[in-house]
Amino acid sequence: MLTLRMAFRNIFRQKRRTIFTGLSIVGGFTLAVIFIGWADGSYNNIIDQFTRNRLGHIQIHEKTYLERPSLYKTIDTAQRIGAILEREDSVESWAPRVYGAGLAALGEKSAGVQIIGLDPQRENAATHFDRKIVRGRSFSDLRAGEVVLGKGLAEILQAKTGDQVVLVSQAADGSIAQDLYLLVGIAATGDDLSDRMSCFLPLGTAQDYLVLGDRLHEIAVVVDRLSRVNRIAATLSGLIDDPTLSVDPWQVFARSFYEAMRADKAGMWVMLVIIVVIVAVGVLNTVLMSVLERRREYGLLKAIGTKPRQIVRLVLLEIIVLSLIAMIIGAGLGLGTNAILSRHGIKFSSGLTYGGMVFDTMKSEINLRSFVIPAITVILSAVLVSLVPAIKAARTEPAKTMRMH
Amino acid sequence: MGFTIKLAWRNIFRNKRRTFIAGLAIGVGLATLIFTDALILGMKANMIHSATAAYSGEGQIHRQGFRLTQDVEKTINNPAEVIAGLAKEEEVEAFTRRAMSFGMITSPANVSSVLFVGLDPESEKPLSHIDDNIQQGDFFSGPEARDIVIGSQLADLLEVSLGDRVVVTVSQAGSGSLAQDMFRVSGIYHFNIKEMDGGFAFVRLGKAQEMLGLGTGVHEIAIKFRSLDSAAEGNTSFWEKYSVNGNEAVSWMVLLPQLKGVLNMVWISLIFMAVLLFGIVAFGIINTLFMSIYERMFEFGVIRAVGTRPGGVRRLVVFEAGALAVLSIAMGTVLGLIITLIVMKTGIDYRGIEFAGTTFYEMLYPELHLQQFLIYPAAVFFFTLLVGLYPAGVAARMSISDALRKSL
Amino acid sequence: MRKMWFLIGLGGLLAFSGPGSAQSQIDADAATIVRQIDALYRSDSSEALVEMEIVTPHWQRTLRMKAWSLGMDKTFIRILEPKKEEGITTLRIGNEMWNYLPKIDKVMKIPPSMMMSSWMGSDLTNDDLVKEFTFLESYHFELVTPDAPEEGLVYVKCVPKEGLPIVWGHVIIAAQRADAMPVWQKFFDEKGNLVREMLFREVKPFGRRRIPAVMELIPRTKEGQKTVLRYLEARFDAGIAPDIFTLRNLRRGN
Repeated sequence: MLTLRMAFRNIFRQKRRTIFTGLSIVGGFTLAVIFIGWADGSYNNIIDQFTRNRLGHIQIHEKTYLERPSLYKTIDTAQRIGAILEREDSVESWAPRVYGAGLAALGEKSAGVQIIGLDPQRENAATHFDRKIVRGRSFSDLRAGEVVLGKGLAEILQAKTGDQVVLVSQAADGSIAQDLYLLVGIAATGDDLSDRMSCFLPLGTAQDYLVLGDRLHEIAVVVDRLSRVNRIAATLSGLIDDPTLSVDPWQVFARSFYEAMRADKAGMWVMLVIIVVIVAVGVLNTVLMSVLERRREYGLLKAIGTKPRQIVRLVLLEIIVLSLIAMIIGAGLGLGTNAILSRHGIKFSSGLTYGGMVFDTMKSEINLRSFVIPAITVILSAVLVSLVPAIKAARTEPAKTMRMH
Repeated sequence: MGFTIKLAWRNIFRNKRRTFIAGLAIGVGLATLIFTDALILGMKANMIHSATAAYSGEGQIHRQGFRLTQDVEKTINNPAEVIAGLAKEEEVEAFTRRAMSFGMITSPANVSSVLFVGLDPESEKPLSHIDDNIQQGDFFSGPEARDIVIGSQLADLLEVSLGDRVVVTVSQAGSGSLAQDMFRVSGIYHFNIKEMDGGFAFVRLGKAQEMLGLGTGVHEIAIKFRSLDSAAEGNTSFWEKYSVNGNEAVSWMVLLPQLKGVLNMVWISLIFMAVLLFGIVAFGIINTLFMSIYERMFEFGVIRAVGTRPGGVRRLVVFEAGALAVLSIAMGTVLGLIITLIVMKTGIDYRGIEFAGTTFYEMLYPELHLQQFLIYPAAVFFFTLLVGLYPAGVAARMSISDALRKSL
Repeated sequence: MRKMWFLIGLGGLLAFSGPGSAQSQIDADAATIVRQIDALYRSDSSEALVEMEIVTPHWQRTLRMKAWSLGMDKTFIRILEPKKEEGITTLRIGNEMWNYLPKIDKVMKIPPSMMMSSWMGSDLTNDDLVKEFTFLESYHFELVTPDAPEEGLVYVKCVPKEGLPIVWGHVIIAAQRADAMPVWQKFFDEKGNLVREMLFREVKPFGRRRIPAVMELIPRTKEGQKTVLRYLEARFDAGIAPDIFTLRNLRRGN
């Protein structure tokens, strides 16, 4: 096609102009790609860190447990579910838990507590429980007669490691659960409120204590790719195939956090629109100038017989080809930067503290969106902005345009 | 010098269209900066306000150690002195006193543990939003001492509605003996926040003090400031002043650390955006200036040929950049002002979205600050000049013969 | 945990055991009827062997325990069966409460904040217990006739006096006309809904007294729950050593 060849030749003929126009497109495009990748990346990063801290990405409970927790609402098929989770590749780690309410006492002091039975090994893998221990250590094994208290609770009871803590509760069979446990560690989960009431036991110990057999209240699951959490939850639900249980992603059980993130995301959208506008204007600027500069040229073309339609096509084609080349370069730069940032991230000195976790590393993410949105923006603005002058150029009298300087 | 400026100014207007377009591009960049800054400030104020205005206030004073254990014995030391001091503080807009303890609330149908809080309705109203979220009944409008105001979730759990009886049991300070009293539900509020709607039971301060055996003691003074800046952790003079005599005064930054974190994140995003904007603006400037130079290469050749020094050419180009900047700033500032004013009128509706434990109550309005119109334009101006140095250098260094040979 | 509360409730009931009037004429005056019922459950001291059956939707248990009381505010209860709970003892003096857990050999003080809860199988709440005033002083009484009155019963409607920490809207007591033995007690909320019901059965002599040996408490708002108290043996005003009600005794295990 003659027009296409001409377009290419035109582009490479006026190197300077091409480079300038091209560079501005490259620049805007690259920055937009980086911004989106970074925004998405840090958003997902925060969710990931927050949910990994204690809640997990997905949780499995008895169907009505979340709305009104109860000692009696248990997961009875722990073994089978565990096997399913082990087989699933998308499950990175999982942790079983039991919960109960009781009274903890040490000497004269006593306090109402929430008893949390957890599997130390699995919990370390899934939520880094061991990192939350600020004094002493975690449990030695699944059935040890040991207890770990939350920081606030330890203060209220004035307990220190080595003390024997009394725990009284009511077991699932109605009998009184009473036992003595060795305080081996003190944990700070970052959630002060819960630390004032948390009393951790090894899973087996808790199950025996509350006469639960091998029943559980909750299984927390950590997945490999957070962006697919909804799909993974649905898959697991299908595999487990138990209508009495409910497999929920974090958006369900961490609803207020989800809403917070949503509000934040909405803010991001506003910024995105702003960025898009800026990139468009930038492209507008250079492309418009470049087209307007060459009106004399187009006049000449018309004078030698080029049809108006062909001129318009030529103008547009040039711009599109230039934009495409620029976008390819920009994509390389932008996605490349995102790739680096997604691996290393940028560390900030004063991070965001939420739920006790400190998020100070912002990581980027490579996704389709970070390419598609800027691409559409650039092409659309380039084409649109070239259209009017192109049409005008195609329509004016050759003599007039050639007389312009 | 004056001549060069005049020349520069005239030069950029020679190609009106190009100058105007370039100016617009840069101007839009500036306008965006101004608007985004205003928006961020508005959002920050809105978020802090939403989080603190619900109940906690922008700052609180307690006896040291109270926050950790909620020990009913730990009342504020020298309350009269503290209150007198606060009343005189310029920066304090409102403050209120509260006494509280964990206890049990019983209805015929059910029983629940609750945080039992005695407050002074008159001073509470300007500070917290409980009265604004009353769904049924009212917020202590009558004189009845037995009024109790609870959240919708607690009302559901206890299966009570307006006018129903409940009994509250708490243990008294000092003796630890139990005190019980009967109340009638006079108001039910709904924040759509689980903790608020299910965990509190409010009564008049005097009644709570009587039940808890506190005399005139209080556990907490919540404060609202005239300006959010006073509520910052960095306002040490205020916090230190009231953290004496065994008391401790802390700002919302300490009470709601998660909010602070989120705001940090937002601030970082703004910086990122600013970098992006400046980047794009830079391209626009360089592009325009280069185009302009190359077009006039012959001209530059001529001026050089007749004796202008390279430095003179450089200066001319830089001044042109400056002129462009001035034009852009003028356009950008006006544009920014207009957009911000429009959005200030309409506001952005985030209402109803729960965020960091509170719900956005009010519309989001951007905030205009004078510094936005000083700092950002100045930054753009100097940045433009800086960026203009590059093409200026190129123009200055070009050899005269090359320049004379250039034509478009 | 909740069971603890039930035991407290039980202690409270025992504390109400009082010098009985064996065969008394029913007074037409409502207040007098209630006074007589109230007096049924008062004593300066008592010692009893009690069986408590708790039924919940999730489990069912029967506990056997020995209980002593002195005056209105001292109670000492030791669980005898089942084996898992054998030896658990509760001491209550006024508003303070301690538990002794033999398995771990520890005495635990119950914090005031937990004193108020009485969930569980035991449907007896502390409302029945911690009050310093008796039923008699807290209500207004009047005789009433229900829609379908039973032969030989009198009915008393009790409305709580204003300002007292009572959740009930009103309470209706049905008693034998002949000997003032309570037959049932129904608790209503202010809207008139029946919230819980206490049934009295098997009137038996215990020493010089006749009281219903079985009390069954049925909450009407919860499904599948009830608590049944059965007095197997009881002695009233038999002179009980006050040093039973000490922390030392708590540990020693009578």
